[in-house]
Amino acid sequence: MGEHNHVNLHVSKFEAPAKLKTLSFALIAIGLLTFVVGLMKNQERLWTSYLVAFFFFSAMGVSGLFWIALNNVSKAGWSVSIRRYAEATTAFIPGILVGGLILLVGFKHLYPWANSETVANNAVIAAKTGYLNTGFFVVRLFIFAVGCMLFKYVMVGNSLKQDQTGDANLTHKNVSPAVGFLVFFALAFSFFSVDLLMSLLPTWYSTIFGIYTFSGMFQAGMAFLAIVVVLMKRHGYVKGYVTEEHQHDVVKYLKGFSIFWAYIAFSQFMLIWYANLPEETEYYIMRAQGGWMGVSMALLIFRFVVPFLALLPRGAKRNDNHVLLVSALVLVMQYVDIYWMVYPNFFDGHVTFGFWEIGIFAGFAGVFLLTIMSFWSKHSLVPLKDPRLHEAVNHHVAY
Amino acid sequence: MAQYTKGIAGIWTDEHLILKAARKTREAGFTKFEAISAYPVHGMEEACGIKRSWIPYVTFVSGFVGMILGLLLTWWTSAVDWAVNVGGKPFFSLPAFIPIIFELTILFAALCSVAALFYACKIPRIDPPNIDPDLSCHKFAIFIPFNDVGYDESKIEKMFKEMGATEVKKTEY
Repeated sequence: MGEHNHVNLHVSKFEAPAKLKTLSFALIAIGLLTFVVGLMKNQERLWTSYLVAFFFFSAMGVSGLFWIALNNVSKAGWSVSIRRYAEATTAFIPGILVGGLILLVGFKHLYPWANSETVANNAVIAAKTGYLNTGFFVVRLFIFAVGCMLFKYVMVGNSLKQDQTGDANLTHKNVSPAVGFLVFFALAFSFFSVDLLMSLLPTWYSTIFGIYTFSGMFQAGMAFLAIVVVLMKRHGYVKGYVTEEHQHDVVKYLKGFSIFWAYIAFSQFMLIWYANLPEETEYYIMRAQGGWMGVSMALLIFRFVVPFLALLPRGAKRNDNHVLLVSALVLVMQYVDIYWMVYPNFFDGHVTFGFWEIGIFAGFAGVFLLTIMSFWSKHSLVPLKDPRLHEAVNHHVAY
Repeated sequence: MAQYTKGIAGIWTDEHLILKAARKTREAGFTKFEAISAYPVHGMEEACGIKRSWIPYVTFVSGFVGMILGLLLTWWTSAVDWAVNVGGKPFFSLPAFIPIIFELTILFAALCSVAALFYACKIPRIDPPNIDPDLSCHKFAIFIPFNDVGYDESKIEKMFKEMGATEVKKTEY
C-alpha cells in the first residue's frame, strides 16, 4: 500500500524490435539449414540434438501455462500485471504438436524400443512393449500437445477476451479450467518426460522422473519470466504496473524452485545410490564416466549452488543485471540438464557437443522468439481490465 | 520494540490514517516512536522508517553452523567413532549424510531465528504495559516516548488530533 505506487501508470504498445525479428529469422534459417544437412549427413546427431531442443522449448511453452494456472487457482492478485509475460510463452504450445510430429520422423533413431530387432533380443524391453510401442507413444504425445492447446485456448482465451469485454466473471471462470489443467498437467507432463527422455534407456526407470523434469521446467520458466520482467521494465514498455516488487517475487519463485530442483535431483540420486540395484544404477554410472562426470557436477554447482547463493540477498533479487545473469545461467543449465539426460545414452563416456546442437537449438529459439513477440504485439502487455489489477499495482514486498 | 516509558499515545481506528500518521510523525522528526497494531499493516515499516531486521543474518550464520556440525556429526559417528560397513559403501559417504546435514542446517537456522526474535522483541515479558486493551483488536496507536527529540506534549497532542486521532492518552510506566 505504498503511496508512491499511484503515480505514472503507463502501458505502451509492444512493437517487436526490428533487430530481434531479423535475428529470429536468421536463427530459424540456421535451424532449418542444420536440419536439412543433418537429414542427409548425420541422422543420429540430428535427432538427439532435436530431441533436446524440442524438449527444452516444449517445457518453456508449458511453463507459462502452468504458472498462469497456479495463479488462477490461488486467485493471486500480485501477479496479474505480469501475466501477459507468462501467457506469451504459451503461444509456442502449438509448436509442441508440430515439433512432436517432426520428431516422429526420426524417433526410430532415438528409441531402442521402437526397433523390433532390439526388442526381440531383450526380454526386459519386450516385457514393456505394452506401454512402449509406437502407437501408444503417438497417442500420448498427441494427448499432451492437444490437451495443452485446449487448456491454453480456454485460459489465455478468457484472459484476452476480458481485455475486450471487461467482464470480471471471466477471471472466476478461469479457476475451474486451471484446476483441471493442474491435474491433467501432472499426469501428461510426466508421461511426456517418461516417453521422450526416460525411455531412451528403456531398461531403466525412476519413479520421480516426471517431478524431476517438472522442477527443471518450472525453474527455467521462472528464469525466463524474470528476464522478461527485467527487460520490459528496462525498455519502458510498462511503467508503474510492473515494478521491482514483482521482479522480487518472480526471483523468489526462481530461487525457491532452484532449491526444489536440487531436492528432487538429490532424492532421485540418493535412493538409487543407496539401494544400489543394477537396473537403476546404470543411469548414474553412465553419467559418472569420462567427461560426463564433469557435466553432472556442473549441474549440481551451476543449477543449484550458484543460483541459490547468488539469489539469497534481498538486494540481489532487485538488481537487474544480477537477475539477468543468474536467470541466463539457469536457462543454460536447463539445456545442459536435458542434454545430460539424453546424450550419455548415445555417447558413452565422451561429451559430444557442437554445431548440430547449436544449430537445431537456434532454430527452435527463433520460432520461440517470434511466437512470443507476435503475441505481445497483438495484445496489451497488461491485462488492464482484470478485477485484481489494483492488487498488482499496489504490490509491495515486505521485508 | 521499545520499552514503554512515560510518553504520549495517539489512538486511531482507521488503518489508512495511522499509516499516514506514522509517516508524518517520522517526518516531524521523531525517531523513537512506535506504531502499535494488532496485525501487520502493509507499508508500516517504510512509513515508520524501520530498517531491515538483522534476524536473517542470524538465520544464515546459524544455518551454516548447523551444516558444519551436521557434517562433523555424521563424519565422526559413521567414519571415526563407530565405523560400520553399510552395503560395502565407504565409511564417509556424503550422499547418505546429506539428509542429516540438511536437517541440522534447518533445525539450527529455525531455532536460532526464533531465539533471535525473542531476544529482539524482549519476549516473553511478564505484565507488559498496556496503553489500551483495544489495541489488540480494532484500534491502532502511535506512541512517542518522553525522551524523543522535540518532545512537547501539547504540540504532539495537537499534531495527533490534526492527523485524525480519536483519542490522545498520556501514559506513565
